[in-house]
Amino acid sequence: MSDKRAAAPDRLTESTGHDLLRAVKAHDLGRDDTLVLDFAGCSFMDSRGGAWVGRVAEIARSAGADVRIEGQQGQVADFLEMIGPGLTTAVTPRPKPMGLVERICDTTVQVVKEAGQIAELVFDALYWLIIAPFEGRGFRWDSFTTELYEMGVRAVRINCLMNFLLGLTIAMMSAAQLRSLGLDIYVADLVVIGFARELAVIMTGVVVAARTGAAITAELANMKVQEEIDALNGMGLNVSQYLVAPKLLSLVVAMPCLTALGMVMGVLGGAFWGTVVLDHRMEVWMDHTLAAATIDDVMQGLIKSFFFANVIVFVGCHNGLRVTGGSRGVGLMTTRAVVMDIFAMVVIDMAFAALLYYVLE
Amino acid sequence: MTEDGPIIEVRGLEARYGDVCVLSDVSFSVKRGEVFVILGASGCGKTTLLKHMTGLMLPTAGCVIHDGTDLTQLDEDGLALLQREIGIAFQSGALFNSMTVGENVAMPLREFRLVDEELIPYLVRLKLSLVGLADAEHRLPDALSGGMRKRAGLARAMAADPPVVYFDEPSAGLDPITAAGLDELILSLRHLLGITFVIVTHELDSIKRIADRALMLDRGVVTFLGTIDEAMASDNERVRQFFERRPDEYIMHRNI
Repeated sequence: MSDKRAAAPDRLTESTGHDLLRAVKAHDLGRDDTLVLDFAGCSFMDSRGGAWVGRVAEIARSAGADVRIEGQQGQVADFLEMIGPGLTTAVTPRPKPMGLVERICDTTVQVVKEAGQIAELVFDALYWLIIAPFEGRGFRWDSFTTELYEMGVRAVRINCLMNFLLGLTIAMMSAAQLRSLGLDIYVADLVVIGFARELAVIMTGVVVAARTGAAITAELANMKVQEEIDALNGMGLNVSQYLVAPKLLSLVVAMPCLTALGMVMGVLGGAFWGTVVLDHRMEVWMDHTLAAATIDDVMQGLIKSFFFANVIVFVGCHNGLRVTGGSRGVGLMTTRAVVMDIFAMVVIDMAFAALLYYVLE
Repeated sequence: MTEDGPIIEVRGLEARYGDVCVLSDVSFSVKRGEVFVILGASGCGKTTLLKHMTGLMLPTAGCVIHDGTDLTQLDEDGLALLQREIGIAFQSGALFNSMTVGENVAMPLREFRLVDEELIPYLVRLKLSLVGLADAEHRLPDALSGGMRKRAGLARAMAADPPVVYFDEPSAGLDPITAAGLDELILSLRHLLGITFVIVTHELDSIKRIADRALMLDRGVVTFLGTIDEAMASDNERVRQFFERRPDEYIMHRNI
């Protein structure tokens, strides 16, 4: 057991700290040693000087030696006293990441919990939308009309444009193949069937998920972060009644309308290519189009869009309401909501395809 | 630019939001190493003044001179360089949510490469122990209470050892014990490190404890500038009303 001394310079700052470090490193510190930092000759230290003291103390500790500080006076003594806890305690290690098994269990629990939360949200919203009005508990019609305008009317332009361009693209690509066989009039059939059953509903779904789905999550998540959700609950108002139910009804009304519009625009996109570039007469093209599609095809698309509307609202609201961690959480949840929306839509689409073409056939 | 001269000088400052004049003809100076308090009723322009002093907003007229340099004459890069010399602690802490408390404090040091990389972890720990948060280093900001966030914000503002620290409402929303602790902390930091503090507040007890001099604003105009003792002895009606905690006349009559 022996004392190893190192003297602090007159003014302990960032640059003079190197001298202290060298003095400490010159000693061969061992388990039984005590590093004595002598501050008798030190008249001033700033916070970077203080950081050097922390650094040399750490070196001593990692060698198993004790650290003692002595001789301090005036400003140096006050300063050392104030930062004392930060110097004498070891650096707290970061919490360890979880192991594989622990992570799998944790994820499973989270998924089950989340499914429960979504189910609760769905039942709650459906109650406030369908049953509560008959019990004389109001539905917020004013909020419904505002939302309908925001989600439906304001999405019309972009939705029309996207579907028109997709129709045009499909017509271009398929005409290139069918033209060599002299069958390019069948592009009309292909476009209308494709849009009625599948393309319009998916394209509209993507547009609405990106626009409305993201907006719902960001809005509710911000409300949660700003404690507005707590304020609502604190007034005895129900979040599902106040926020979720009007959004749900709005989108359930708006989404099939947007999809129908998307079908028309897709067909027009195809017709544009067919008449302007492929040189077919408009009447012939439209005759083919109307003969090819049946009301069943259109209904298939519209029914899917109804399910998509539900997915977008519930996924959006659910993710918004479970946000934690301020602004970063809002961003994470919004991304998650849009990804979940699109994934769920593709899965539903696939389920419909399996059901209609294999099970019921 | 002498050691004894004022560290900050504000001359004829005028600020407008559109047609609304928020500050008009505000002039004062802050001495090196003092605790200077800006006080006044809510909505009188305190925070706007702070934003102008730190270069977050530019005035419509007048100038802000920081250690001999006029903020209003600088280009974007020059202003950014000068702002590194200023620490700002915001009302709610304004910590970056995606980083731990320690990373928040280390951020200005790492970004500006001000300090030896070897020294940064120790400097971060030192700053956090100064504000009494040594054990919160690895926690995320949303796991902290309001008072802790405020103190962490102060630690980040002081990270790069700026000569001036601006502090918006240090004790608002804090319990008396934490608030008093923060007052003592400000005084010790001033004493130990010679930091100049410019503090926006309307907490009377805190003002009496820490302030060397005070500036009082009323509807964008300076109504008082001087020491706290002078303020308490002032015969200006608005200043007396503030220190005696009297509501406006029409409210007094309504309550009777």
